[in-house]
Order: sequence, then C-alpha cells, then structure tokens
Amino acid sequence: MMALLVFRGKLRDFYGKYDAYLIPLIKLSLSLTVFFLINTNVGYMDKLKSPAVMAVLCVVCAFLPYGVMSFLAGAVLLAHISSVSLEMALILAVLMIMVAILYYGFQPGDSYLLLLTPIFFHLKIPYAIPLLVGLSGSLVSVVPVSCGVFLYYIIQYVKQNAGVLTNDASLDIIQKYTQVIRNMMSNNLMMVMMVTCAVGILVVYLIRMLSVDYAWHIAIVSGALAQLAVVFVSDFLFDVSVPMAELLVGTLVSMVLAAVYNFMIFAVDYSRTEYLQFQDDDYYYYVKAVPKITVSAPDVKVQKINSAKKKRREFYEQ
Amino acid sequence: MLNEEKIKLMTSIGLFEKREGRRIFPVNRFFRSDYIGRYLLKSFLGYTLCWMLGTALVVVYKAEDLLSAFDFSKIRGLAGWYGIGYAVGLGGYLLITCVVYWRRYEYASRGMKVYMAKLKRLEKRYEMQGRTGHGGKRL
Repeated sequence: MMALLVFRGKLRDFYGKYDAYLIPLIKLSLSLTVFFLINTNVGYMDKLKSPAVMAVLCVVCAFLPYGVMSFLAGAVLLAHISSVSLEMALILAVLMIMVAILYYGFQPGDSYLLLLTPIFFHLKIPYAIPLLVGLSGSLVSVVPVSCGVFLYYIIQYVKQNAGVLTNDASLDIIQKYTQVIRNMMSNNLMMVMMVTCAVGILVVYLIRMLSVDYAWHIAIVSGALAQLAVVFVSDFLFDVSVPMAELLVGTLVSMVLAAVYNFMIFAVDYSRTEYLQFQDDDYYYYVKAVPKITVSAPDVKVQKINSAKKKRREFYEQ
Repeated sequence: MLNEEKIKLMTSIGLFEKREGRRIFPVNRFFRSDYIGRYLLKSFLGYTLCWMLGTALVVVYKAEDLLSAFDFSKIRGLAGWYGIGYAVGLGGYLLITCVVYWRRYEYASRGMKVYMAKLKRLEKRYEMQGRTGHGGKRL
C-alpha cells in the first residue's frame, strides 16, 4: 500500500512538473485513437484516410480544446458516412447540430465524454464510463454520455449495413431515409445502454455525495450492480441479448478502473475521521473532517565524498 | 528591492485571474437582468431552430403517411399539439437557462468580490511602500 501511495505521489509530481507537455500528449493520443477508430470502422472516404490528413488533424487537436476535437471528429465521421449514405449523414448532422445548440450552448466543457464513450464501448468496457463520470462529473454528464452511446451504435449500424445503404437502388431517397430512422429507433440495445449509463451515473453520483464512510467505494459497487440489474431486466423485458461473459468481465474491469481512479483522486483515511460541532450567530455546524492519505516521495540524495576523478587527479599530482 | 509579500499577492491575483477570469470578468460587465435576458434570447432562438430541424426530420419521416391520408381537420389537430409541445418544451428549456445563468451570475459576483479584496490589499501594500519609501523586506 505504501509503495502504491509513493508511486501516486511521484506520478502527481511528474504531472505537475511536465503538465505543459503531458496535456498535449494526452490530447494527441486521444485524437489518434478517435480518428483511428473512425477510419477502421467507417473509413469509406479514402482521401480522409490518408496518414497525412490524419497526422495534421491529430496535431491540430493536440493544441486545441476538446470541443474542437469533438467538432473535427464529428466532421470526419459525417464525411465518411456521407460517402455511404447521404440520408444517414443528414440525420446525424441534424442531431449533432441539435445537441451542439441545446446542450453545448451552456458551455459545460465536457465534450471529451462524447469521444471517450464510443472508445470505451469499442474496448468492451462500456460500464466504466458511468462509474468514472459518476465519480468525477455531475448529473448533466448523462447528456454527452448518452450522445456518445448513440454515436457508437450509429457507427456500428453504418459498418454493418454499408452494403445495403450504398447499393439499394430500388428505394428512393424518402424511403431510404424512413428506413434508416426506423432501424435506428428499433435498436433496443442502444436504448438499453443509454438507460444503463444514465442509471449508473445517477446511482454513483448520488451515493458518492453521501456523508458516509467509504462512500466512493460503495458508489462504485452500487453503480456496477445497478448497471447489471438494468441490463438483466432489459434482457427479460425487451429481449436484448448481451453476451454474459462480456458483461461480467466488462463490469469487473470497469470496477477495477473506477477503483484506480478512486485511489488516485480520493484516497482518504476514514479511521482518523474527526467530528466537530460549533456555532455562530446564525448556524450550528456539524463538521466531519476526513484526512487525506498523503505520502511524500522519499527524496534520495547521493553525495559522493571521494569521487573517482578527483582521486585520480590527486594521485597524478603527487 | 524586492518585496516578497507583494510578489506573493501579485502572483495570487495573477493565478486567480488565470483560473477564474473567463468565468468572472465577462459576466460582471452586465446587470443580472441583462445577462440572463441575453442568454434567454439566445436559448429561445436556439430552441426554435432545433425544433424546426426536428420537425423537418419528423415530417420527412412521416411524409408518406401525411400525404396518403390527407385530412385538413386531422392536420389542424396535429398542428395544435405541435404548438403545445413547442411551448411546453420552450418553457422548460428557458427555465433551465434561467437557473443556470442565475447561478453563474451569483458565482461571478462572489468571485469579483474576492478579486476586489485582493486588489485592495495590493493597493494598501503600494501605499505603505510609498509612505516608507522602500520596497520592504529584502529577500
């Protein structure tokens, strides 16, 4: 435990020292992952798939806010989808504009969730996102996470039906459009995952805000169980099939990730909790003070009393 | 001669400006009603645009049904419901806008008070320096 705490301290120091380089590096790797996933899943426009274009986009994203990265990723996604199905791209563009105006008009600064959610879904650990967002964000983060889920399933839909969307010449544009919307709305798995994420965020957020010992740990376990419960219930009600092994392993990995996050951000020692009571003219105060676990990294200094060079010089001088 | 306390104070003000400046200074240029009113208008326009876009999506989706069973009284009834839906949604969205920007204005006002207090302390330090004629403690 002590070694882990020391490691955490070193990591924090390292981040504090080199954050000017680390933040662009993190953004660069995130943008690289996002564009790579878009290209491998729905990369239907060859010009946009060229390494030069991708490199320029990633470098631009590394130095600009997450909002710009989301905008560029959205634009690239629309361009790829438009080369398969213009109707699909049109629907997606309208929905993106609506989310941008209605939600991002408030400038919440959590557009990175739009990018992270599909990535976590792709890595088969979708249950980690509600746990992490519930621990770190607020309840309104349900909106970008749900949009991220929607984007993931749209990408999957286009990937699986690219042939049908491109070659179906028997249908006119209105019929194609109607078919696309009907298929999107009848995707029960997408709806279930949206509800699962929303419930997960709600449960984790509400429990971690409670003034009880080990609130964050309880929140992680409860959030994971709540998500499992929603998936099981949906399985019975809407006949949604989620592979059992993937569900359980994904939940376990998600819990581990959430525990790591908890350790890095909120390591406190409940055994040394102190309770205070006092009052002023207007209020009575009941204060609960939980000390943070802080371990400073050992500062090892090696002082050489007799260096080899000096010794040798002294020897020759004699 | 360097004044350590003054440098600390100036650094703290600089950090405060960097961290909170974007959330505080643009807000305090307005009265509360003007600030919230501005965003209410923006929200009204944004919501109306989104409603129109959403309507266009739904109309194209339901185009065949609408054209095949063209009934003026039915369409008039639908338009009524459409109007009610728009008004209720708009009311809810404007309420959320009002709450969000009211809170932001409150936050910015409190932040501005803290900022002004820091500036006053710095000003006093300058006055003291002017009276004593030296920069204070030597580093």
